[in-house]
Amino acid sequence: MLIKSGIMTNTSASSMPVSSRRDWLRRAGCGFGLLGLASLLEEGGWSTPVCADEFGARSLDPLAPVAPHYEAKAKRIIWIFVNGGPSQVDTWDYKPALEKAHGKSIREYDAGFSNTTGFFRDAVGNLMKSPFEFRPRGECGKMVSSLFPHLGEHVDKMAFIHSGFTESNNHSPALFAMNTGFARMGYPCVGSWVTYGLGSESRDLPAFVVMSDPKGRGLPKGHAANWSAGFLPGVYQGTHLRPTGDAIDNLKLPVGVSPATQRGQLDFLKQLNQLHLERHASESGLAARIESFELAFRMQSAAPETIDLSNEPEHIHRLYGVGNPECDHFARQCLMARRLVERGVRFVQIYSGGMENQRSWDGHSDIQGNHQQFAEETDRPVAGLLSDLEQRGMLKDTLVIWCGEFGRLPIAQLGEKPGRDHNPHCFTAWLAGGGIKGGVSYGESDEIGYKAMVDRVHLNDLHATILHLMGLDHQRLTYLYNGRNFRLTDVAGQIIHPVIG
Amino acid sequence: MIRFPASDRLLLTAVFLFAIAGGIAGAQDPLSPEQLAFFESEIRPVLIAECYQCHSSDAAKDGKLRGGLLLDTRQGLLTGGDSGPAISPGDPEDSLIISALNYESFEMPPRGKLPDHVIAAFSKWVKMGAPDPRDGVIEATHAAKEIDYAAGRQFWSLQPLLSVANTESPTHPDANPIDRFVIEKQERSGLRMSPPAKPRVLIRRAWFDLLGIPPEPGEMEHWQQLLGQTGNSQDLMNRLVWGQLIDHLLQRPEYGERWARHWMDVARFAESHGYEQDYDRPHAFHYRDFLIRAFNDDLPYNQFVQWQIAGDELEPSQPEAWMATGFLGAGAFPTQLTETEFESARYDELDDMVATTGVTFLGLSIGCARCHDHKFDPISALDYYRFAATFTSAIRSEKTFDLEPEENEQRRQEHTLALAEARQELEQFESTQLVTDFATWLGDTTLDGSDVDSWEILPGRLQSSEGSNFEVMEDGSFLAVGTAPQKDVYKFEAEPGLRRIQAIRVEALADSTLPKNGPGRAANGNFALGNFDLSVIDSVGLKKAVPIASARATHQQNNDSLSIAASVDTDLVSGWAVDGQIGQSQAGVFYLSGPLELNESQILAVTLTFQHPNSQHSMGRVRFSAASDDGREPEVGGTGPSPVQMQSLERVQSILKATGSLPPKEDADIRIALEWYRHRSSEWQVLYKKTAALEQAGPGVTLAKVLVTSEGLPHLPHHADDRGFPHFYPETHLLRRGDVSQKAGIAQPGFPTVLLDESEDGSRWRLVSTSRANPDSSYRRASLALWLTDSSHGAGSLAARVMVNRLWQHHFGKGIVATPNDFGTAGELPTHPELLDWLAVRLIENGWRLKLIHKEIMTSDTYLQSNRAADDPRSAIDPENRLLWHRAPRRLEAEAIRDAMLTVSGRLDCTMYGPGSLDPDMTRRSVYFFVKRSELIPSMMLFDWPEHLVSIGQRQATTTAPQALLFMNSTLGRACAVALADRVHHDDPAESLVQVYQIAFGRDPTAAELDLAKQFLARTVPLRKDQGDPDPVHDAMADLCQMLLGLNEFIYVD
Repeated sequence: MLIKSGIMTNTSASSMPVSSRRDWLRRAGCGFGLLGLASLLEEGGWSTPVCADEFGARSLDPLAPVAPHYEAKAKRIIWIFVNGGPSQVDTWDYKPALEKAHGKSIREYDAGFSNTTGFFRDAVGNLMKSPFEFRPRGECGKMVSSLFPHLGEHVDKMAFIHSGFTESNNHSPALFAMNTGFARMGYPCVGSWVTYGLGSESRDLPAFVVMSDPKGRGLPKGHAANWSAGFLPGVYQGTHLRPTGDAIDNLKLPVGVSPATQRGQLDFLKQLNQLHLERHASESGLAARIESFELAFRMQSAAPETIDLSNEPEHIHRLYGVGNPECDHFARQCLMARRLVERGVRFVQIYSGGMENQRSWDGHSDIQGNHQQFAEETDRPVAGLLSDLEQRGMLKDTLVIWCGEFGRLPIAQLGEKPGRDHNPHCFTAWLAGGGIKGGVSYGESDEIGYKAMVDRVHLNDLHATILHLMGLDHQRLTYLYNGRNFRLTDVAGQIIHPVIG
Repeated sequence: MIRFPASDRLLLTAVFLFAIAGGIAGAQDPLSPEQLAFFESEIRPVLIAECYQCHSSDAAKDGKLRGGLLLDTRQGLLTGGDSGPAISPGDPEDSLIISALNYESFEMPPRGKLPDHVIAAFSKWVKMGAPDPRDGVIEATHAAKEIDYAAGRQFWSLQPLLSVANTESPTHPDANPIDRFVIEKQERSGLRMSPPAKPRVLIRRAWFDLLGIPPEPGEMEHWQQLLGQTGNSQDLMNRLVWGQLIDHLLQRPEYGERWARHWMDVARFAESHGYEQDYDRPHAFHYRDFLIRAFNDDLPYNQFVQWQIAGDELEPSQPEAWMATGFLGAGAFPTQLTETEFESARYDELDDMVATTGVTFLGLSIGCARCHDHKFDPISALDYYRFAATFTSAIRSEKTFDLEPEENEQRRQEHTLALAEARQELEQFESTQLVTDFATWLGDTTLDGSDVDSWEILPGRLQSSEGSNFEVMEDGSFLAVGTAPQKDVYKFEAEPGLRRIQAIRVEALADSTLPKNGPGRAANGNFALGNFDLSVIDSVGLKKAVPIASARATHQQNNDSLSIAASVDTDLVSGWAVDGQIGQSQAGVFYLSGPLELNESQILAVTLTFQHPNSQHSMGRVRFSAASDDGREPEVGGTGPSPVQMQSLERVQSILKATGSLPPKEDADIRIALEWYRHRSSEWQVLYKKTAALEQAGPGVTLAKVLVTSEGLPHLPHHADDRGFPHFYPETHLLRRGDVSQKAGIAQPGFPTVLLDESEDGSRWRLVSTSRANPDSSYRRASLALWLTDSSHGAGSLAARVMVNRLWQHHFGKGIVATPNDFGTAGELPTHPELLDWLAVRLIENGWRLKLIHKEIMTSDTYLQSNRAADDPRSAIDPENRLLWHRAPRRLEAEAIRDAMLTVSGRLDCTMYGPGSLDPDMTRRSVYFFVKRSELIPSMMLFDWPEHLVSIGQRQATTTAPQALLFMNSTLGRACAVALADRVHHDDPAESLVQVYQIAFGRDPTAAELDLAKQFLARTVPLRKDQGDPDPVHDAMADLCQMLLGLNEFIYVD
């Protein structure tokens, strides 16, 4: 994959599709009067659309920084996407009752359980206790699985949500739902909405960066649709850093072209473009395009510098686990994430694991081995990231999210080594940093960890909370597309105030 | 070519097939007497006494209806009111009526809680599934009550077309009709039109607008010259010639490629499923090719619309009409589905069809009414589901067409001729030369018993566990054809003539159709016979294994796991392989431990197992034979005659000796003898193989698979087929909140209420097939298609408005309605409504021909204007140029940028049609990129290529740094620059510079530009020389060309 978007400097003044309508509306005092709509709407008796420009004035540059709706607690987000659906009862959602229930039928606890709840209807086993031991960690005494010796150190920074639920029991719809709020393709993801809402702080790096599995285990199901801008302008889509080879397209000079030659080329280009601009002085888009070449020239050095970890001191490498065979790849990505946000990148998403089955947290068989492996890949790097952000004073306004697309069933999936099947009814997520109250747990699953029970959290609620922390009102962040004002949270969403500090 | 059918093409009858638009009906199993009794005694009386006062149709009539809830029909309970369904059959706890009776949610009835036993009875009734005989059909009143359709019809886009009196304007008698509309508006705002641009600017503009590529310098010069021959002293150019230029461009094949691509955005066309695996749809490209042909052939737009919705129903004999149906099925669809997702996935698919059809043809966001009535537009949820019901049984299928009938006919004829010739040659040889040779041979040969070959070729049946197909060959062997499966098991059954068997021979024969000539089917020509099994099946089907004592082969790959002995061990993988003698026929003999005596009713069964992990290691051409003695060494073939053949030979020889001539050819013995002998003749072999090869190859007719959307055809295979995914459901239900668990009756196909005249019931467009049309189809889509394009009574006026607006938009950068996919109340109003309607009327009145509209637009003064000056005072009046008082430069789209780079560098491959490519470095026009949803072409995405998931009416035109990087560093940019430099390379750099400007920009460089270029070369050549560049002059010119491609002037068209 490649860089799909990046730094937007300007739209062409002639077509100005991104912002022209909004600009126009703004100049018209955000009134629909000139459009002749308001009166018609009144006559027709239909509801009035929300003004698409309400979230703030914006220059011609759609990536120019925009003030949030209200004071933001978080300025940036790093989302550790625990891809494949981590098991809540084996990670953070301690269920002593499940140990007692071990070996019993789940129908004793939930008569409505259907064999089609998970993915494999023919491999439904009995309740299975966690193969991992839990012990209290941190000052809050949170019970944490032995999977996370390092992350356990940080529970006092985390707010746990144990009552998450989603609709689909299938990877890609659930991935889309977690990323975009809709289980179908074609909607903008959280990162795109945030970038649309706030613009970019960086002038020479993309605003929204995605990293996927560098170990050849593939992309998350649904591929790039998971970081798609959907119907939002393409500049808001995530920039996928290629896990191998050149991370970003076209950063290297063509063979035979030296930096000096290229500098000469760009000077020449600028001079010619200036002559053209004199003949078209009314077109501001042309000037912006001249500037884009200078930005590109800077990006050639800024992007490789950011991705290059060799400038980081040895103790930082150690902190993340760079060089440790089990977690080197993820440590590098976490460290890179810190370097990116440090340089103004707004939203970084890192996928742990590739596609499904043994290539990600999708522990259909051997849940123990599967989760052990992926926990080892991520435990130290993510813990290192939290420590590093904290010691740099960045954690207070950097929101770190640990979340996958759904949870797993508390029953065994039958097989040579027992696994756990998909469970849309319950998952655990944690948030840390940027405005989050540490050491708290919100919501509860039922006693065996099968269904979200108390203070249920829908994806819309999670998304509303994330936007809120970024200073965005999820009900006001809208985009008019083919006749409807769309929101990340559709027609729902409640901010989860108890997790906010 | 698309053939336009005659107007009486439809052998269809309009009948009143469906219920009046608006009807929905619920369904339940017939009630048992007990259920009926329970309802009548326990439930109905309470409902009447306690509920109907506020919750019945009578209450509604009296204006006393509360909460929108009707309890006097079963449907009313199921549909529910403002708070959702009143009951969930079978689940009292989830039924609002029960919690209301219990005073847990609402407190009903409000005047006092009912006795516990009454509530218990209701609870029991719901648990029974709420049996209810009151099957009255709920009227559409609930869904429609908040929508005032009469008012809705007053909205500008839903009104009839203005019959615009475009008579000559008194103030502008000479103006073109388009200009009259534009000038009128301008004058009211104190604006005036800008003067026409220079001819070379206009030529370039027209080239990009219609073809999406720049003109070649020769073409530029040619037309510039012609245009310069002024016909009218007031004009800067000859209008007549300009019209000819437009006509010329509209006839060019590149026009279809350019405009098909615009349509592909609207049609969210892609060639893969999207979602999890994003499997390819390899036969989807025919839709793109249909679009290109349709635009080039100027297919009338009404037909263009009809075919995309229902080409299969309306023109089943036309492959092009089927290809057009690719439109409906072009959306993304999940390939991994669980049972709980089947139904919602299908509703999502219907939604994709509804939403795309709505915005594409009507500019109406019907899709917004899926969960509730449309927020802005007068479209109800019921309208939505009626629209969706049109597509109820429409699914993606593949259909095979003969798209080259003439070529195929020629192929058939050529093949028939060649085969007849070969056969004749063979017969000729057999009846003359062969007989002579045979007589000579027989005369010279002494026949004795040792010539008899004891191998009896076993004639029988060979079957493959994996469905491999075999051709029975002349020599009794079986040749596997088609693609070899990974693994295979061959089962061979024969009734041998021999009564006593001691050895079985398996010959693996070489054949030219096999990889490396065989004898195996693997790519390396090898096979691996994991196991050989012999058994005897008796008359009652009892199967008895026959033990094998030993085995020998003509050649074996090693003496261990790949030996023939390993084929009779217990390991099903190890066994006979023949690397070292690939390409040669081989024989393996399996010796029985003792003689096997067979009776007539017994069948010999041989099983060959090929399970080697190396793929496709099965035998390619196999022959089975048996021998009654066990002394035979393995050998291939054996030229000796069989006992029967020997008998005939001996008889013929005795006749030959006695009479001096062979018996007549009708003689049975001579026939048998010759049949044996001919295999010895190499000349016969050659002639025979020629015939056989022609027979096997067939005429080579080329048929095309096409991805279509239709009804009654087999569905495309789907991952979830083994889970029972039904692909579609026989009925489409009205869903509350778009939720498949909240069905509220069956929706019948119908048209959006607001687009129907109050007196219309929709029957006018309803069709069924006669015997000559497509009997498997519901003709629901055909009805929709006819309604969509009916400009007298249906939605044709709106459809015409939407399309002329799209044309206008691509000529001016912005439509008369700036929101091309939204002609509803949330969209923008037309800047020039009369002009829009005038164009729509022109389109309809001129047979829906789009090329005419292009020409109308492009010959107007409005189109020919030049850009404004920087300090033009008019900018203050209308900065957005809504009143079209000047021409604003436009950024080219991704395709045009790339195609222009390829064109000017001389690298463009103009091959049209056929499968697309994912290779970013391909040099065909960008419309031929394979659109794979998960692998969108990077260079295209940089310039705002759509994601091809939803209909896009207008692309963005962003400016980003990564775009600049493409011009600076990409292989595409550099390769085009080098090729352009090659094209203009000249000893005199000034000459080269002039040439390159003419190619890239259609003009000479200015003195200042020339100066800068020379300075650049003067700086860069020594720089490159210092780096040790062997050809610094050429490479510096390439550096220069690279930057010219990056210039604003290159990608912004004036």
